[in-house]
Amino acid sequence: MQCSCYSFRRKILATVVSISLPLMASAESSNADLQTQIDVLQNQVTALNSEVQQAAEWKNPNTLIHMAGYADVGFISPENGNDSFVIGTFSPIFHFQYRDVVMLESELEFNIGEDGETEVALEYLTIDWFVSDYATILAGKFLSPVGQFRQNLHPSWVNKLPSAPPGFGHDGAAPISDLGLQVRGGFPLGGMRTNYAVYASNGPELNSETEDELEFELEGVRAEGFGADRDGDKTFGGRFAILPVSSVEIGLSFVTGQATVTELENGVEPATPGLESGFIGSETARDYDVIGADFVWFTGNMSFRGEYVKTEIGEATTGTTTGEGAIWESLYTQLAYRLPGSKWEGAIRYGDFDSPHNSQDVTQVMLGVNYIVSNNFIAKLGYEINDGETGSSADDNRTLLQLAYGF
Amino acid sequence: MKNISNKIYSQLFKLSRACIVLLTVGYSLPTTAADYPEAGNFSNGSKVWADNCNRCHNMRGPKELKDDQWISTAFHMRLRAGLTGQETRDIITFLQASNTKTVVSGATQVSAVISKGSTGKETYEKTCIACHAGDGKGAFPGTPDFTSSDGVLSQSDSVLMDHIINGFQSEGSPMAMPPKGGNPNLSETDVSKVLGHIRKVFGR
Repeated sequence: MQCSCYSFRRKILATVVSISLPLMASAESSNADLQTQIDVLQNQVTALNSEVQQAAEWKNPNTLIHMAGYADVGFISPENGNDSFVIGTFSPIFHFQYRDVVMLESELEFNIGEDGETEVALEYLTIDWFVSDYATILAGKFLSPVGQFRQNLHPSWVNKLPSAPPGFGHDGAAPISDLGLQVRGGFPLGGMRTNYAVYASNGPELNSETEDELEFELEGVRAEGFGADRDGDKTFGGRFAILPVSSVEIGLSFVTGQATVTELENGVEPATPGLESGFIGSETARDYDVIGADFVWFTGNMSFRGEYVKTEIGEATTGTTTGEGAIWESLYTQLAYRLPGSKWEGAIRYGDFDSPHNSQDVTQVMLGVNYIVSNNFIAKLGYEINDGETGSSADDNRTLLQLAYGF
Repeated sequence: MKNISNKIYSQLFKLSRACIVLLTVGYSLPTTAADYPEAGNFSNGSKVWADNCNRCHNMRGPKELKDDQWISTAFHMRLRAGLTGQETRDIITFLQASNTKTVVSGATQVSAVISKGSTGKETYEKTCIACHAGDGKGAFPGTPDFTSSDGVLSQSDSVLMDHIINGFQSEGSPMAMPPKGGNPNLSETDVSKVLGHIRKVFGR
């Protein structure tokens, strides 16, 4: 009996050992795997911690670097001329900001000319010093604060129509940009809000042109931010606007200074080398004055705006160019309406531009339909009805298609 | 020699004139701005945002940029739109608070001062009115007209509560409403109250 019991115990012991040994071996193996996994996880957590710390460090900088801008491409079909695909512009805007103390802003403008060459221009570059809640000092090349179109509305994703109003482009009535020192900001006035900009700058230059090689006439005002003041007198200007209610803004602008003819155009090759500089050297500074007024009213789906600007160049007593002064004058009004609950928008604009040259004068009505794919990506179709001097390009109606993207 | 002296005097005169201007500006205004980023007022920010951005261009929704990108963008627009520094801070506060944060940890974000009303009417006036307007017809394109008989208010409370709490983009609207109108302090009870107010005042 004892023997059988002993045998039974041995059997049980053998069974337990035979079961336990593989389990123990398996447990040792699982522990090793687990340890390996823990080690791997530990390494990953350490790496993630390091990454998060670096990310957190970079996301709280005193210096911010930011790029914005806009671009547009399109198709132009004049009634008398060839249809063309065009690249309007690619305009990256760079911001380098240090806290709320200073920001460097710069916009470059790239486009492709008719000859296929890529053209680059510095649209503006300013260092903006935020000196108080109500004033910022800008130094450098800045967009002209005269009116609203040049400083706020000209980017293609902002402009409701695929072209600029007549007189608000280059050599038009409205100044484009200038180089100098500007103070701008906004402040409450009673129950109203206001904003302002005042500046001192190098001012514009003039160019004159001849058709008969006998007499030069003033061709245009090149108010595009020159890096030197060739007439020696600083130009002063600014804009003041009030917002009697939040949906209405009314602004008045002025500029006054001097400007000189610095370029004689249209291929008059001087018979004697150096004669052209002699011509330029005889030019004297003329009075340069600009006045402007603008308004905007927007409510819900509708916006209605308008702008008037007049540039006047005074007489000169000496010089190659005719002594008479000249006036450039332009106005436009624009109504835009977006269909409620849809992405479709209609726009109509009336514009009129008068210059000293009949071939440039134009009265224009532009009709447009926009499809707002997203708030910063807009497909525009426009038709310009131009009434200018018969036979001139200013008299040619045009159909324009444009894709504009703000980023 | 006399000419040279005159030129030097003339240049010194011009230089001193410029220095006087700069010193006047420097002493009359703080040379450095206040703490950065300084918290603004959410409600005022939403109002200033709605009142100003649409004056020139289509509204850009809070989700279009990251929090730090909104800072530079808002400072850029401060100059363009003639905003005050306080208005700029308010707008940044509103946009950052309304932004759906894909990266929360470490993001440059101001501490939003977001108040909420105790009644549906107060909450509407502090949080909703900037976009939906006092008359409920929408302050700018893309916001629905509450007064329309077959408009958004024809939907059930549960659907509208879900839209308000989680955010929603209406068909045809290029911009989404942020969750809770951008005010994370709103509770479900607050949302229910403001929905009741909207139905009572604008419902047909």
